[in-house]
Amino acid sequence: MRTTATLIKLLFKTWIRSKVSLFFGLAFPIMLLLVFGTIFGGASPPNYRLYVRNLDVDSSGSPGVLSEAFIQALNNSVFEVVPLKPEDPTPRSTGFAAVRVLTIPKGFTSNLLNMTIANRVDITADTIRRMVEMAGAQIPEQARANITASMQAFTAFKQTIPAERKTLVLEGSPDDRVLQPIEGIINVIASKFELALLNASSAVEVKTTYSQARQMRTVDYYLPGYTAAFIMTNGLIGVSSLVSDMKRSGVIKLLASTPVSKTSWIVSLVVVQTFAALLLTAVMLAVGWAVFRITALPDFFSLSVILLGTLAFTGFGVLIGGVLREAEAVTAVGNTLSFPMMFLSGAFWPMELMPPFLQEVAKFVPLYYFHVALRETLLVGSLATAILPTAVVAVMALLGISLAVLTTKWRDF
Amino acid sequence: MEAIVVEELTKKYGELTAVDRVSFKVSEGEVFSLLGPNGAGKTTTVEILECLRTPTSGDAFIKGLSVRDSSIVRRIKKIIGVLPQEFNAVGNLTVYENVELAAAAKQASDLKQVLEDLGLWEVRGRMFSKLSGGLKRRVGIAMALVGSPEIVFLDEPTTGLDPEARRETWLYIRRLKKQGSTVVLTTHYMEEAEKLSDRVAIIVKGRIAAEGEVKSLIARHGGKTKLLFEELDSRAAEMLRERGFEVEQRPSGRVVVRVGSDSEMFEVLTALRSMGYHVYPEIKQAGLEDVFLSVIGSKLSNTGELT
Repeated sequence: MRTTATLIKLLFKTWIRSKVSLFFGLAFPIMLLLVFGTIFGGASPPNYRLYVRNLDVDSSGSPGVLSEAFIQALNNSVFEVVPLKPEDPTPRSTGFAAVRVLTIPKGFTSNLLNMTIANRVDITADTIRRMVEMAGAQIPEQARANITASMQAFTAFKQTIPAERKTLVLEGSPDDRVLQPIEGIINVIASKFELALLNASSAVEVKTTYSQARQMRTVDYYLPGYTAAFIMTNGLIGVSSLVSDMKRSGVIKLLASTPVSKTSWIVSLVVVQTFAALLLTAVMLAVGWAVFRITALPDFFSLSVILLGTLAFTGFGVLIGGVLREAEAVTAVGNTLSFPMMFLSGAFWPMELMPPFLQEVAKFVPLYYFHVALRETLLVGSLATAILPTAVVAVMALLGISLAVLTTKWRDF
Repeated sequence: MEAIVVEELTKKYGELTAVDRVSFKVSEGEVFSLLGPNGAGKTTTVEILECLRTPTSGDAFIKGLSVRDSSIVRRIKKIIGVLPQEFNAVGNLTVYENVELAAAAKQASDLKQVLEDLGLWEVRGRMFSKLSGGLKRRVGIAMALVGSPEIVFLDEPTTGLDPEARRETWLYIRRLKKQGSTVVLTTHYMEEAEKLSDRVAIIVKGRIAAEGEVKSLIARHGGKTKLLFEELDSRAAEMLRERGFEVEQRPSGRVVVRVGSDSEMFEVLTALRSMGYHVYPEIKQAGLEDVFLSVIGSKLSNTGELT
């Protein structure tokens, strides 16, 4: 135990004294956060995606005619309508694009039809009343009495029609700067819909409610992305170079000739890298708070994600540094793996900005799961959506450490 | 008592046989050198003894413990100290921290003592990367010696050092011998092996070509003492030949006379003086270089290549 503690202490000293480690492990990510956060880190660019949850369905699940027509009208406007089934949960913000959900209430179609009948009754009654007034004495007394009686019956019929205004609920984030204009556009569409299809007005109203979910700014997206990306580079480039250097200089051979075990060596590397990862996270959060007012505090789950990611990429770094003989090859492989992952995983810019096929490609990149898991746990605080990416990172950690143990040679180098 | 016993040790890498049925013994407190050119199998042999490589066949015993038995490797590692070939400690750790690294690995507590013994205490705070070549090698030796190992393996400890640093390193190896440590040294420097070793094994192409005490090897294979005359004419050379001496006239003008004993040397000088030649030859005793030439048929260059 004392041996491992001393190894950890000395390895940490080599890390903290290495200008390259400090630059790429701390300074560079902070520089990126400051530069890109300042230039591109403001509010997200507006978009007009609108999720529509239609509760106006019959017992077989088929949508009402008028609610379907209304959705069609929305789709023909500026909106990119994404239909939701009644049982679908409210989509969660990916952290960048705003999520707005318009809920069409149950009974929308029948109620609008009833409103139409009621309106027609009013119009018909008004027309007859005006006609009687204009005709005056030309209408015989008996006929006038019959008309009056019919009108009373007609009015009584209208009272029996169950018609009320229906409310469309628009739910969005208070951070969504285009939520109010969107409410206005939906109101206009609803009015035109009423007039064009139903010749009725005031049958529909739109009410906006605010969800708890924050819509993040781009800089909120950058922080966990950069943190995860540089924890990865610390492992793939930093650890692989350190292992390769120590192998070449004979330090590993000297250690292997002593009673110290290779497990102690790998544990020491992992502990130092974990400390470096936590330091990077703390500094990034501090700079994020001081400059961009990003408020996030790591909890048990986000710290677990950081530990798993560090284990995974430290393991892969030990593997690269241990298997490859040439220093140039180690650097080349570390860079070749790291840089495409940074750019393809969506760690450096929001996934929504990437073409759809690249968004699919990202899901095959290990870093993707690390930065998504870190963002979900660190900023969004959503455990449900963090479970899958965290599980993938856990599998990567198991794989990375297993490969590190299997390929680190303490004999027959 | 033997500190190390090597029996028919063989190491193959595919088709290549790096070590071929090597056997030797090293007694306790002895300095034993494996002398040979680059690629002769010296490092592979000592790395098997250091439990860093597994032999293909044969066995070696460190204080009676087999290096093949993985269950006792840890016990062997507790009693050995190793300076690997071309060793460089961690550049951005200080002298103290580097030796502390080795001390931690060996769970040793004699860190300060070792640094003082090797004259490193005063420079303990200096970064390894800022040290001279000689000091760097001294740190490597300190890392090998910390924990007071009973057997020390020094793999080419002076390769790449300037003559002054090399001689300084020799001092520390001599001190080790005085302290009673068993030292196994690999080298391609004849002078080093000759000056430091009690016994030497000449290894070429994975096989031991000659082995024994330095003096007996020289006596057996080294040949006669050479008297080198800078200016000696043909008449004098002819006269010495007539008296039965082995005389060689070199193109450089030098004349080399080989003598088998001190009395023969005296006889040569008396004969020359009686003919009016007041000359003072350079006396070159036979050494391992001659042994090497005699046994292998080639010379060994300073870079470790056969010439």
